[in-house]
Amino acid sequence: MAEEPKPAKAPVVMATVAWDGAIPELLREHLGGSVLDTLLYLDQPFAVLTLAAMLPALDLLHAEADFDYLVDITAVDYPKREPRFELIYIVYSHSRNERVRLKAQLPVDQNPLSAVPIFLGANWLEREVFDMFGIEFAGHPDLRRILMPEEWSGFPLRKDYGITQMDNRWVRNNLGIESGQ
Amino acid sequence: MKQFLRRFFLIDLLEGLWVTFRNQDPKRIVTEQYPSQRPEVSERYRGAPRLNVHPETQETLCISCNLCAVACPENLIVVGSVRNPETKRKDLVTFTYDLSRCMFCGLCEDACPVDALELTQDFEIASYTREGLIWDRQALEEGPRPTQYRQ
Amino acid sequence: MTSIDSNELVLNMGPQHPSTHGVLRIVLKLDGERVKSTECVIGYLHRGVEKIAENRTYVQFAPYVDRMDYLAAVSNGLGYCLAVEKLMAAVAPPRAQAVRVILTELNRIASHLLWLGTHALDIGAITPLFYTLREREEVLKIFENYCGARLTTHAFRIGGLQYELYEGFEQQVNTFCDQFPGKIDEYEELLSGNRIWRERLRGVGVIDAATCKRYGVTGPMLRAAGVPWDLRKAQPYSGYEQYEFDVPTRTGGDTLDRYFVRLDEMRQSVRIVRQAVAKIPTGPIMAKIAKVIKPPVGEAYVSIEAPKGELGYFIVSDGTTHPYRLRVRPPSFVNLQALPHMAKGALVADVVAIIGTIDIVLGEVDR
Ligand code: SF4
Ligand code: SF4
Repeated sequence: MAEEPKPAKAPVVMATVAWDGAIPELLREHLGGSVLDTLLYLDQPFAVLTLAAMLPALDLLHAEADFDYLVDITAVDYPKREPRFELIYIVYSHSRNERVRLKAQLPVDQNPLSAVPIFLGANWLEREVFDMFGIEFAGHPDLRRILMPEEWSGFPLRKDYGITQMDNRWVRNNLGIESGQ
Repeated sequence: MKQFLRRFFLIDLLEGLWVTFRNQDPKRIVTEQYPSQRPEVSERYRGAPRLNVHPETQETLCISCNLCAVACPENLIVVGSVRNPETKRKDLVTFTYDLSRCMFCGLCEDACPVDALELTQDFEIASYTREGLIWDRQALEEGPRPTQYRQ
Repeated sequence: MTSIDSNELVLNMGPQHPSTHGVLRIVLKLDGERVKSTECVIGYLHRGVEKIAENRTYVQFAPYVDRMDYLAAVSNGLGYCLAVEKLMAAVAPPRAQAVRVILTELNRIASHLLWLGTHALDIGAITPLFYTLREREEVLKIFENYCGARLTTHAFRIGGLQYELYEGFEQQVNTFCDQFPGKIDEYEELLSGNRIWRERLRGVGVIDAATCKRYGVTGPMLRAAGVPWDLRKAQPYSGYEQYEFDVPTRTGGDTLDRYFVRLDEMRQSVRIVRQAVAKIPTGPIMAKIAKVIKPPVGEAYVSIEAPKGELGYFIVSDGTTHPYRLRVRPPSFVNLQALPHMAKGALVADVVAIIGTIDIVLGEVDR
């Protein structure tokens, strides 16, 4: 959509500040160098981890800091970046009333570990991430598509998937029409 | 004993019937007899679109600025205009509005700088065909013409 | 193929089953009348809201959120507006905040009313539906008068409100608040004291607090299990800290308790609405924000207490007019996950009650 002329360029990176406190310390103490950064943006804390440290971090927060509620798992696709995906976990602690985001970079050819052993609720959330991005979680009990039809090919939330694009073969076979458009 | 008398004279039944009877009061009837009685929708109701014309000259108010088409999330408004060499302004030629995809969110109405496009209180916009839902300029200026049934 | 257990019956419930509240399909494995396992098949209503968001501007996307949980469109809109405002570091003016609270709480009442009516209908009590729809109509009329639509309201805009209050708003809301608590008593008379209702719901679909947390269940379901957690109290937004209200809880975690929790929530909502209406501040209804909404590069997760639980928006902005990624954390989707746990060992007829008590809206589950 055409917009009005571009105003002055906004800063291209997130204007973050460092996040210190008990939780970053806890993470650093146990995971050491795997904790790449602990930052605050708009008063929302997040930690950037290596992919391998993600599950241990979740486990640690769950066991040691009483983060007992997994709010959400999601991913963001940056096709131009390497590694391509960013995996995001949001956890919350009822007793501390704190919400923390954990992020890790994920290359296309790697499979993150499933968080289901720690949080049962991760089951469907991970299935959705798989459905939309094609990220396979190793050790997931039942990794199938959840929102899209099971035989669908393509991962709709990847950036190279067009908004009107669809699996024409599936549409033809199952709906008996040439195209859904 | 009291229980027995209650049962014997069917007091509970009468109480129940009284509730039913009480609700017969015309003031308490909420059912509307559509279509012989049309519901009153609120003033701000977002219904069928209308392209307003000047009440006296019958000329369109639209200045062909295209803002409504840009604002619409569904991209369903197409404004066709030609530049008038005399007034150096754009004159509206065609205006199509695809009601079948409209979600009546009101963003186009908000965007219009001269209040030419308006979502009105008309709600009877059903059509038998898909094409019937694509309104051209004439339909937009005249408004919907729902079938009138004899009373 | 493994050998078939001759005692097991596989039953497909839905997607066109009236008590699944939409297009939910549940594959039940039965041993006689007992449920051995359940599997939810969802996605029939998937419209790709998150993909649509990436292809719309921030302003243009607002009407789409109404179509997720279409019974609580106002709450969805509030969450979305707050999330974008957070990204832009903008705050809606006090007047807008008060109006937002009023409408959101009314919406909570409307959502719970429809839930109550349909839930009772599922279980076999037909009458409450007529009463609850009657009261819901009053709320919808307020919405219609305020913003011109009853269901998919698109009531709020990023930065504040689009519409000023109409004349007679306070009075209409107050009239509703005066009458409504009496109506809740009526429902209680019809249902709470009803032996059939109690026996039918007591001990059905029990889920305890620890399991709720493991599944990430929020909202009335969590509160009925005894956890007094409500985002309006825990992390107040839109000026909720100014209002006095309680977070109703129960301890049993069964279907009956969830019913009581939701009834009490409606009473609390009336309380909030009363307080808010009594002192709507004057002033502007729109914050001073740029005409073209372009949040700086960054990301934010903002969540609100929707009628069904925690509704969150996670938005990644790349500094353009379109969200780079918008993720909705839908409460119904996560809560529905607990269904197999709750339905295990239950009777088939109870599954209907359990689905009803989760209060799902498939538009939100599937997005
Ligand atoms: S009401 Fe909304 S969807 Fe319909 S034309 Fe206007 S902007 Fe587009
Ligand atoms: S915004 Fe109004 S004036 Fe501009 S083209 Fe649309 S209807 Fe015409």
